[in-house]
Amino acid sequence: MTLLLLLLLPLVAGLVLPLLPQSRPLLVRGVAAATALTQLVVGLVAWRQPPADLSLTWLPRLGLSLDLGLDGLSLPMVLLAGLITAMAVLASPADQSRPRLYFALMLATNLGVVGAFLARNALLFVLAFELVLIPTTLLVAIWGGERRAGAAVRFLLFGAVSGLSLLGGVLAFGWFGQGASGADSAVSFSFEALAATPLPPSAQMLVLGLLLLGFGIKLPIVPVHGWQPISYAEAPAPVVMLLGGVVSKLGAYGLLRFGVGLLPDAWSAFSPWIAAAGAVSAVYGALNAVVATDIRRLMAYSSLGHMGLLVLALAAATPMSLQGAVAQVLAHGLIVALLFDCVGLIQRKTGTTAIAELSGLLNPIRGLPFTMGLMLLALMAAAGIPGLAGFPAELLVFEGSWTVFPRATLICLVASGFTAVYAVRLFNRVAFGRLDNNRADWQSTRLSERLPAVVLTTLVVLAGIWPVGLTAWSEASTAAIALRHSDPVVHHLALAPTSPSLSLPA
Amino acid sequence: MTTTTPPAGIRTPLIPPSTHPYAEVIHRLEAGGSMLPDTPENLQQIIGIYKAYAVPMDFYWRDLLYIAEQVFLNPLPAFKYFISQEYLDRPNSYAGDQSQLRIWRGGEKAHPELLAFMERGETRRMPKLLHHLWHDRVNMEFAEACMRAMLWHQGMGGRFNDYLESEAYRANADRAIKAYFRGNPLMLGLYALFPEMFLEQVRQLSTTANLGLFWEVMAPVFFEMSDLYDEGQLTSVPQAMDFLVNGIFAVAGRPIYHHVFIRGECFEIIPMSEGFTWLYEAALPYVEAVFYRTSPFRGTKSYNAQAGQVPADQADFHYGILYADVFPVGSAGIPPTLLMQDMLHFLPPYLQELYREHRRGEEDQLVQLGITFQRSMYNVTSAVIQALRCALLYPLDDTDPKHLLANRQFFEAQMDRFLRPEARLPDIQSQDYR
Repeated sequence: MTLLLLLLLPLVAGLVLPLLPQSRPLLVRGVAAATALTQLVVGLVAWRQPPADLSLTWLPRLGLSLDLGLDGLSLPMVLLAGLITAMAVLASPADQSRPRLYFALMLATNLGVVGAFLARNALLFVLAFELVLIPTTLLVAIWGGERRAGAAVRFLLFGAVSGLSLLGGVLAFGWFGQGASGADSAVSFSFEALAATPLPPSAQMLVLGLLLLGFGIKLPIVPVHGWQPISYAEAPAPVVMLLGGVVSKLGAYGLLRFGVGLLPDAWSAFSPWIAAAGAVSAVYGALNAVVATDIRRLMAYSSLGHMGLLVLALAAATPMSLQGAVAQVLAHGLIVALLFDCVGLIQRKTGTTAIAELSGLLNPIRGLPFTMGLMLLALMAAAGIPGLAGFPAELLVFEGSWTVFPRATLICLVASGFTAVYAVRLFNRVAFGRLDNNRADWQSTRLSERLPAVVLTTLVVLAGIWPVGLTAWSEASTAAIALRHSDPVVHHLALAPTSPSLSLPA
Repeated sequence: MTTTTPPAGIRTPLIPPSTHPYAEVIHRLEAGGSMLPDTPENLQQIIGIYKAYAVPMDFYWRDLLYIAEQVFLNPLPAFKYFISQEYLDRPNSYAGDQSQLRIWRGGEKAHPELLAFMERGETRRMPKLLHHLWHDRVNMEFAEACMRAMLWHQGMGGRFNDYLESEAYRANADRAIKAYFRGNPLMLGLYALFPEMFLEQVRQLSTTANLGLFWEVMAPVFFEMSDLYDEGQLTSVPQAMDFLVNGIFAVAGRPIYHHVFIRGECFEIIPMSEGFTWLYEAALPYVEAVFYRTSPFRGTKSYNAQAGQVPADQADFHYGILYADVFPVGSAGIPPTLLMQDMLHFLPPYLQELYREHRRGEEDQLVQLGITFQRSMYNVTSAVIQALRCALLYPLDDTDPKHLLANRQFFEAQMDRFLRPEARLPDIQSQDYR
């Protein structure tokens, strides 16, 4: 029931929101926020009292059943989705236009994402994955900036390719595996069934290729990132909080669950190329961020670069790197949401995110000192400053990947260093200097506007000083699907409690 | 700023329109106006701020004279801002029944609002020392910074600074120093070893007296302007400027001197008989040093002298309130932030209401107040420019084109000083500059 509740909450609320009176936009916003927060609470309850997996027959002829479950990989993702959705709702302006549709679409996005994370059936996963595309496209198309039409079209096209690749990959997975065995019954797409019928190597390559394309677009990763900069630049900031903080994590989760978990041989064979793609993404994202002239685009490229680190960790597939990957998903989700929340406030107050047009925002009297202070913290977290969420995640990624792909890790390390470059450049130009008197005619941020940033900042700091909060969820699950063992000493230090076979003799 | 043609009502056929970048302002000055546009809000702002300025100024002049005349060379002047009751009750020379030369209305003793503030501050009633340490008081640091600017720049006309280097001054100062340290062999020994050090301190104290005497005039002027505005007798910015011009001429010849009182005996370091006058030895140097020049303020904005960001010639300094970037951090000139804090306590209700209506309301009152102060000082500078024109050149309604051209050249030369990008003259032409 708990698992169903996680899905029913956004579904019911999303259907109810359009029925609420148009004259009460704050009620609509409140219901949406309460729904997401309740989902978060239910997720926390599920963490303390793990629910049993749920399996309901849906379309047996297609092999589609409502198989739901929570494990160490999906639980943190569900919690992240609930949290970021709530924060995105609260970060939306109080005078949000067409609030009933806007918040309903946000909850629909949440429904798709959480559905994908809970799915224990590959077709159900695809269904939920595809569902996400519709509301997110509409959110970009209706509430985006001046170039929203182009952004939405590109977002839709890339999303459609992503979805089709994923569908093709999943179908091929089932058909090549269970069809080849000559079974007369319908193909089952449950994860257990897929895992129980390993594919021949050539089929694994094909399926993994399709999945890499599908999930690579969603992450995104170079060279299939074309939708991201324009979408992040044009979509409303709260929507980008969702896109960057939650939706893109579907790609990471999918690679971890399907690639590493279900196609280990092909993953091992592809991993040098995947690591190389990660390194290229990291460098490409960082260099583009350094020369970006708009804060939103800078953040988009920064996010792309950090996804490169994530892909490197997945490619290495050591227990530590996979732990790092999950930690990076969580840390990046929090950080990118915080960054875009701050960017949204800057845009709402100043009317622009063009770096050249902004300066002196840290001004204590007429600037946005609170917002800029939190943004500085978020930039520091993105740069991997110790004591903040980015540091333990990146440390695990680099340490876990170093033994398998030293060159790619080194490149990613250098690229990660560039985060400090563009962070300092951005902050120096936007926060310091003279605040333009003509432009600085805005009111300071209200407490309600600051709330999401404060919550996210608290979690970023908390995860930095208590990194177990990032890693403990998935330690056992990632160790179970790890394909390689890193350096024995490192391995022992990292995993001694959960890997008795590798512990020192008594 | 583009070149404009004078309005039809003030067009003069005798000389062509100015082609100066500030032609609009110059035409306004030629028509007897101010650099500040004549709008009801500008009038409200400047009068309101004159009132808020006059109350702390009433303390400034009294304490400056107290320091120059009583504290004098005290080697540990920790209590120099703890003005004596005698100086708090000292009759203003130009206002009140006991004044030597009553020109303006108002009482001769310290203003009631000042006394009330000194009693309670903005916190609550507590011992004077705690008010001082908590900075819950009038900031004399601002007044002293103005004095130092006058002392440091020098060479701004008049004979005052030359006199500070004269033998007569040295002899007068020497007598006062020896009298002050009589019975103190340590200080007298130091004086014998480093006489210039002590003389320099006395020169600073003479400048302190100079500024005190200057502000003794200005405080009642501003109070009366506020009263006249409240009574509906001041209805335009040019009227306010004219009031200042008339005030300047009324007291132009009043003496500037420095007397020191040591054990009840008066030592005339700068005697009245030297003939130093208020306009040439105090008002004009003050405007030049404080409104225009001052020095790169060591605040949040950095200046790199080696990179040529600070002019080599002091006369080219441009860090005064007329150039100051009040918004956002008071980054230039005499730290106006301290004065802004002082004025904040005495804002008339209509200014408080005005600030609440714009920008961030009470949150950024200090910035709005600082910009109002900048407007008001442009009006004061306009009065000084008109007074100088009046004293040195020709009437505005003169019919001789040569005379009008001479006036024009004078105004254009004055406006040239605001061609620097830092000048706020273009900003104050707009009501949106807040």
